[in-house]
Amino acid sequence: MPERTVTIASSVGLHARPASLFSQAAAKSGVPVTLTTKAGKSVNAASILGILSLGIGHGEEVVLSADGDGADAALDSLAELLNTDLDKE
Amino acid sequence: MADAALTSLLAEQSIRLDRTAEDRFDAVRQCGAALVEAGAVDESYVDAMLERERTVSTFVGEGVAIPHGTLAGKESVKQDALVVLRFPEGVDWEGNAVSVCVGIAAAGGGHIALLSQLAEILLDPAKAEQLRSATTSDQVYALLTPDEDDED
Repeated sequence: MPERTVTIASSVGLHARPASLFSQAAAKSGVPVTLTTKAGKSVNAASILGILSLGIGHGEEVVLSADGDGADAALDSLAELLNTDLDKE
Repeated sequence: MADAALTSLLAEQSIRLDRTAEDRFDAVRQCGAALVEAGAVDESYVDAMLERERTVSTFVGEGVAIPHGTLAGKESVKQDALVVLRFPEGVDWEGNAVSVCVGIAAAGGGHIALLSQLAEILLDPAKAEQLRSATTSDQVYALLTPDEDDED
């Protein structure tokens, strides 16, 4: 299954605003995307509650994985999102 | 993990179970006012909360929104605190019905741990439903207290 390892760039971690933008993008990607933490907890990337429950901080590594048509393109754009400081205003 | 307990940040007078709001910004304003009354934030934090809501909705699913300030608003935070406002008639949140707002004031990194604990609770559909239909502050406290045997 295609996957990408990404380091969270947002200075405050993957919390409300970045988490919201990310989960919306995952929902729109058209493929089911799973986000897994280093500790091995996995959630549906399109679920904002799932993502918030992980409490992912700045600089933490996560793995995104997806299967099916368009999985690689979806993972690339979602990884790009996590590589961006989404909390910059 | 030495996370602050959600309940230790929630004063009983900060639980308001029978509110009505014209729209989501009105609901956010009420959450902000409750945080000001709790002595947790300066008035300017309310503007930071409204700004956050304008930028990205704080709706998280399960009929719950979590209004909180922008990074710029953190200087207005005097102490970390939560408020719980329930809107039994529901508030339209960009097409989603919200019946509970958990307003959050957090100065430092405590934010993430708080959201994580709250999200864990809301991921349990039964608990989310109980929060939406809570009529006493005791029920709210009980829901926000982690189950001892739930730890992993």
